[in-house]
Amino acid sequence: MIGILRGMYITFATMLRKPVTIQYPDVHRGVPQRDRAFPLLLWDTAIDEPFCTGCHACERACPVECMTVTMKDNPLHAQGTSKRRKIVDQFWIDYGRCMRCNICVEVCNFEAIAMNNTWAGHELSKFDRNDLVLDLDQLLSQHKQGKIEEWVAE
Amino acid sequence: MTLLALDYDIENPWLDAVLGLLVIVLLMTVMALTLIYVERKVAARLQMRLGPMRVGPHGTLQTLADAIKLIGKEDLRPASADRWVFELAPFAIFVPAFLGFVAIPFTRNWAISFLDLGLFYIVAVSGLSFIGFLMAGWGSDNKYALLGGMRAAAQLISYEVPLVLSLLAVSMVVGSLDLREIVEYQGRVPLFVWQPLALFIFIAAALSELERQPFDIPTAESEVVGGPFIEYSGIRWSMFMLASYTNLFIYSLLGSIVFLGGWDWPLGGREGLWLQLVWTAAKAGFLILFFIWIRFTLPRLRIDQLMTFCWKVLIPLAFLQIFLNGLVLVYEWPDVFLLLTSGAGLALACYIVYRSVRVEPRGVRLVPAGRARLPAATATAEGGSGA
Amino acid sequence: MVTERELETVELNINMGPQHPSTHGVFRMVITVDGERIVDVEPHIGYMHRGGEKLSETMDFRQAIGYQDRTDYLAQFLNEQAYCMAVEKLIGLEVPERSEYIRLILCELNRVTSHLMFIGAFGIDLGFFGTSFTYAFRERERIQDIFEEVSGDRLMYGYFRPGGVVWDVPDNFVQRVREVLPYTKQGMRDLDLLLTENEVLIARSRGIGAMSAERAINWGLSGPMLRASGVPWDLRKDQPYSLYDRFEFSIPVGEYGDVYDRYLVRLAEVHQSIAIVEQAIDQLPDGPIMPEKMPRKLRAPVAEVYAAVEGARGEYGIYIVSKGGDKPYRLKIRSPSFCNLSALKEMTVGNYVADAVAILGSVDIVLCDVDR
Repeated sequence: MIGILRGMYITFATMLRKPVTIQYPDVHRGVPQRDRAFPLLLWDTAIDEPFCTGCHACERACPVECMTVTMKDNPLHAQGTSKRRKIVDQFWIDYGRCMRCNICVEVCNFEAIAMNNTWAGHELSKFDRNDLVLDLDQLLSQHKQGKIEEWVAE
Repeated sequence: MTLLALDYDIENPWLDAVLGLLVIVLLMTVMALTLIYVERKVAARLQMRLGPMRVGPHGTLQTLADAIKLIGKEDLRPASADRWVFELAPFAIFVPAFLGFVAIPFTRNWAISFLDLGLFYIVAVSGLSFIGFLMAGWGSDNKYALLGGMRAAAQLISYEVPLVLSLLAVSMVVGSLDLREIVEYQGRVPLFVWQPLALFIFIAAALSELERQPFDIPTAESEVVGGPFIEYSGIRWSMFMLASYTNLFIYSLLGSIVFLGGWDWPLGGREGLWLQLVWTAAKAGFLILFFIWIRFTLPRLRIDQLMTFCWKVLIPLAFLQIFLNGLVLVYEWPDVFLLLTSGAGLALACYIVYRSVRVEPRGVRLVPAGRARLPAATATAEGGSGA
Repeated sequence: MVTERELETVELNINMGPQHPSTHGVFRMVITVDGERIVDVEPHIGYMHRGGEKLSETMDFRQAIGYQDRTDYLAQFLNEQAYCMAVEKLIGLEVPERSEYIRLILCELNRVTSHLMFIGAFGIDLGFFGTSFTYAFRERERIQDIFEEVSGDRLMYGYFRPGGVVWDVPDNFVQRVREVLPYTKQGMRDLDLLLTENEVLIARSRGIGAMSAERAINWGLSGPMLRASGVPWDLRKDQPYSLYDRFEFSIPVGEYGDVYDRYLVRLAEVHQSIAIVEQAIDQLPDGPIMPEKMPRKLRAPVAEVYAAVEGARGEYGIYIVSKGGDKPYRLKIRSPSFCNLSALKEMTVGNYVADAVAILGSVDIVLCDVDR
């Protein structure tokens, strides 16, 4: 009997405590700075071009082969405004395959790719699976608009 | 019938019956919907959650939304199920719950019908629902359902005996089966003071008749996933739910009338019928909250442990209670002897529950590992790294 | 008079199918029942097989970390630890001390979360209908917040690498851990009050599914199931790895090996893990997190290696066969859940149907670990 009474005591005591539910989507809990949602490309605002040179390092390192990258000659380099000889031409990431392991961020030599650490990276539901394949403009858009403050480990 | 303090006799018995039917149906439906919501909210608070919050302010319209959804569902029937047995099972469970409301007095003047054998009638009628479980279990043509139905039937039939015996013990003390007289007997002291053992047996038996934890093995969610109700969907399934919550309400009302003093203690109500109604409802509400509290605090017993508890613990205790009552009443000892004997019986019941599982205490022994195993020389060599 | 032998009874086949609320994942048990007693149990596994071992052959040692998380998804750091230890042994890397401490602290915290999950699910299997689950998960969420701050993800961490860890812990790591541990202890007290002395729980779990020490060893059990049967075998004590020799802790050992003993052993292990974390947090040194001579590409010699850790469920081992190059030739995972589950029939036959659920819950399997 005693065990049952102890159990009843603790459930009653819990009833007097504040519930711990956070009512999403009205309230969004803060995410830590290192949160790893999905990869994004970064935009160099000083020169007005992406950091990414299309070097294929992340594409080779990806365990699930979710990226496709092509590179082209950088027109801004011919003009003399940019130090990057090559620049990324097309870049696709399939968010449906990405397993968010962060290896692409580790191997990038130019710090051109980072993990999205905002809520927008988590709220990515789509109705069509093909919409999960993002191309270059979609990947650059968030950082171009200044919406994320990326965290890349030193 | 005296209803709504109108206190007149309706001449036409058919009109009388139809009005009574309307009152019961409305009352049942509203109470069932409210009780489902209350249970979900209280359960959530016991578990540190919030419960329904989005449909309506603080989720109050949640049950209505659920009801609308269930009405819109397809009415499935397995092709090889026995058609009439399958389709009539929900009614067989639902109707006895209806009938139980007829004899319950809510206040001194308000009831559908004041029966001299009120207690007997309620117990007899609510015991009919087990046939519905059997019909559901057999008619579904499903092994899980059959297993659940058999368990349900065994449990319901077995636990009727302690239920009836505990109520019999109480009516022995009062001297009548009429629910109004039982309440008026408790004018100054409620019956749970005189008969605590009967209250314990009543609560255990009622929990089992309602199929709630710790006795909910027929609909054990994590084993046979719904028991006899596994093949039902839509409005038929919701009738099982409604019947379950209506039974909850009836047993709570019965408990509050018989043991907690109904509308009488401690107001000693002669006036204020609305106040009496509120008071009865408050006591029933207290019992309902108690049942919900127990439901989310205890796991479920296995079927053989359930049967052992009934036949080897509750029924002997119920007989003991009746015997002690008989002694006190025949020799005309003062009422306080009722309290003493019944209290001793309750202590015996608690001791039996306590002893039946804790035959010897259990613990784990701790075998030291890590640094404690190493000789002292190696330990000091590594001590520097800890700075 | 009809004697009992003349009455014909039929044995039912009950299929606790892949979709069932209490089989802890997609696991199928075909139970043959005579009345309410179980006569035969046939487990069917393989619904979660994803070819993790084969996939690991196609990627190099760093890329395969992601797949190690996904075998035992409740004790991920312990999986990663086993894998990193195997690769480090193979290639010959030496892990700096700060990384070893960080790994140990995270592994022990992960053991706490895994056992909390067990306690929650155990309550549900026995019929608590949610109360134990929410209490356990409240404390689990607090610890998972720490994991999210360290590694960035709530469930699939991918934080360890062969050689160390991928990046350093944040600056407030020690303070955060010290903040969370009192809450964990309070949560354990709540769960203890709710569960341990509950008469109904004791009635449901004492004497059920008992395994003697000799049979447990013969069946190849490990982890809390073995210790509950009375065998004081723990890899942290008997084949020490990492830095476990520096801390004072104990191994809880049961007596009868039934369901209740397994629950008690896991409950006590949580307290021991908290003690280890408290000692380790005080001793956390500064320093580098990756070895200095870290090769850019990890190439392995022609060799075979086996490394095992004391996982939350038992002995979790990684066996790598390498034929040179940067990919393993064969990566074999010795998963504890698979070996513990093989003893299911022995434990279940002769009990009631309701007990089968309790016994399965006490084995504490993770289907991704059984099927890989």
